[in-house]
Amino acid sequence: MTATAPTRSRGPVYEGSRIPYPIPTVLKTPADIEATGDVMMVNFGPNHPSTHGVLRLIVDLYGEDVTGLAAVIGYLHTGFEKNMEHKTWWKAIPYAPRMDYVSYQNNEYVFVGAVEKLLDLEIPPKAVWMRTLLLELNRIHSHLVWIGTSALELGAISMFWYAFREREQILDLFELVAGYRMHTRYFQVGGLAEDIPRGFYPEARKFCDWMPNAIDDYETLLTRNKIWLERTEGIGLLSIDDAIALGQSGPVLRGSGVDWDVRKAEPYLAYHQVDFRVPSFPEGDVYARYRVHMAEMRESVRIVEQCLDRLEHMEGEPWIADDRKVVLPPREELHTSMESLIHHFKIVTEGFRVPEGEVYFAIESPRGELGCYVCSDGGPKPWRVKFRAPSFVALQATATCMTDALIADMIAIVGSLDTVMGEVDR
Amino acid sequence: MALDKPLRELGLKSERLLWPTKGPSKFEDEVNDLEQKVGLTTLAKAVAWAQTNSMWPDTFGLACCAIEMMSIVAGRYDIARFGMEPFRGSPRQADLLIVSGRVSHKMAAPLRQIYDQMLEPKWVIAMGACASSGGMFNNYAIVQSVDKIVPVDIYVPGCPPRPEQLIEGIVRLHEAVRAGVPPAYEVRSVAS
Amino acid sequence: MSEFDALPGLVDQLERHRETTLVVELVSLVDAALHLRDEAGFNFLSDLTAIDYLGWGEKEVSGYIGTAAGRDLNMPMTQGYQVVPLPKPKRFALNYHLLSVSDRPRRIRLQTWADEGEPVPTVIRVWPTADWHEREQFDLMGIVFDGHPNLQRILLDDDWDGHPLRKDYPLGGEPVRFSGEA
Repeated sequence: MTATAPTRSRGPVYEGSRIPYPIPTVLKTPADIEATGDVMMVNFGPNHPSTHGVLRLIVDLYGEDVTGLAAVIGYLHTGFEKNMEHKTWWKAIPYAPRMDYVSYQNNEYVFVGAVEKLLDLEIPPKAVWMRTLLLELNRIHSHLVWIGTSALELGAISMFWYAFREREQILDLFELVAGYRMHTRYFQVGGLAEDIPRGFYPEARKFCDWMPNAIDDYETLLTRNKIWLERTEGIGLLSIDDAIALGQSGPVLRGSGVDWDVRKAEPYLAYHQVDFRVPSFPEGDVYARYRVHMAEMRESVRIVEQCLDRLEHMEGEPWIADDRKVVLPPREELHTSMESLIHHFKIVTEGFRVPEGEVYFAIESPRGELGCYVCSDGGPKPWRVKFRAPSFVALQATATCMTDALIADMIAIVGSLDTVMGEVDR
Repeated sequence: MALDKPLRELGLKSERLLWPTKGPSKFEDEVNDLEQKVGLTTLAKAVAWAQTNSMWPDTFGLACCAIEMMSIVAGRYDIARFGMEPFRGSPRQADLLIVSGRVSHKMAAPLRQIYDQMLEPKWVIAMGACASSGGMFNNYAIVQSVDKIVPVDIYVPGCPPRPEQLIEGIVRLHEAVRAGVPPAYEVRSVAS
Repeated sequence: MSEFDALPGLVDQLERHRETTLVVELVSLVDAALHLRDEAGFNFLSDLTAIDYLGWGEKEVSGYIGTAAGRDLNMPMTQGYQVVPLPKPKRFALNYHLLSVSDRPRRIRLQTWADEGEPVPTVIRVWPTADWHEREQFDLMGIVFDGHPNLQRILLDDDWDGHPLRKDYPLGGEPVRFSGEA
């Protein structure tokens, strides 16, 4: 399989393919090591401080070498897709953010965006820019949680407190805009649920002015840190061909040298009107993925600033589409217009209807390509909703990255894949 | 973002600020009553004081509530001031199990195992709507309330609960323990 | 697009909502997958979704109530009423969402249809990422993938009975006093 992807590589990370055979996601102990009788099977159980949530890894250890690995997932299976089939389109939206509970607004947007694609709804520019801003803030939030917890697992415990200090600032911004810190339910089919409150822009500016200093702090602590380098450089190698074959995307793919970002390749929202770089590093190891995360945080701050520049001139513009078949009419109209009353009634009780069809909508979540496949039968409830979770696919790469790994490296590798078990298990 | 003015001057009108002479709430009254009636001895009170001031939780973060649980460990909502910042990795060293997140049927068995490995006295906080009642997931996959698996002391509602809400739940647990309320496994079993 | 005329087993090509769907026969699924990966450059399998169409178009749903411009009174024989969705060829549809990670990014959907109990050939040798996707669809929908090296349940307990995402499987949960709907 040839790699036709745009790359920045200086040659392949390793020769050939390291994807295990016959099962691509299970690393099996070689027969000669198995024959020594010295292999210990350890259960890296669902409740463990270092797995990101409820992941179970069954690991074969030969001394400290990881020779066999199988991942067991499903401990957080919630039946999202089945539940969403029984709710109206509007009531199904709160289910979406609870999957990838760290970058929740990306989930909300992917579902709402898929429904809007089926409806062919046009979103007003204020909502487009605000959505872009919130998605980028969420990207920073997700990377902060990632760096806090990954560094904590590798022993750089103080990073947790520094990262969460900035995370609290972002959550303050979300609370200011949407009323709640997490799972804001601010994305509505047609735009935003409510207007942007006063006082948001100065607070967001303050955050953007402060954030690059914070990222400098994190990089000072880790990037040239000898212990960090020893624990992350050369660990968890993944070549370009293997990464694409295994369906990797996001920082894992960009850490292997592929310049692939859905925001640049197939722009959605306002990404084609914003100036930002897509960082990628060719080494394909845990350190490269760390560099990608750090650089992406900086780029996200730039995007947020550009969104603020545009939004500050959009005072008084509509924040949701005008299509009364889908969007609730403004409350004042209900007193005067009969049609508005009927529309309100129909939308609230029965729910708006989405034309028959199927659509696949993909965005770049902080973990990679997050996709939502929606199939509608023309009624008020979805027929089938499927979320393509990047973490589900990223976990499949653990076996490949784990070739020649020690047990301490396993923590670093699983952490670098940036998995959130809520979206793995759905 | 540090606040340089007290909340009162920013326009926050909460009951406790507007009513500085407000006495204890109904819950505090009830706890005081209980203390009188149960009649704890000084030694039992001292033991309860020690237990509450360093009640170490076990890492049992499952889903979204775990992220809010992590933020009470972080700097802003610091539970180190309650003596609870060492989240023990091993349940054998932990006192408190904060079940934060939705429990699927597959996870129910490990949850019970972890609970059984904890040593008495042990307390359980069901954090969030999913642990308290199944939350928004009334379906085949989620156990409708974690008290079908482990006996629960305090239920903290929210989806996810704010860190302050969780700390309120923890503080109420401390008050209840200090008043002499026995842990849940002595009082009740699991729900049917 | 005529570039897909050479696709083995091609039954239909649909263009809706700015997306291309290629419908192929079940027996030539792997050949079509190899053709798309090697000739057309779709080296990335984004997603594999199975849909159960049991009960399609039957209860209560009768189509889209109108557009922003109003109902189309000019559609013949409908009197402007809603359109009932057309019946589907078989019970299960399998959608492979493919992506070309290259300088010319494109997306396409490869679709095939299967009946209850009909095994579907696995594409794990074409895109190794299909491993867990196929296991998930086996687990939740009960679709058996022929040739998959590790077809076990992945999200549910190993001894779970039934396939929850099928339309004849109940939602489950507890009966609640107040809800009017599920």
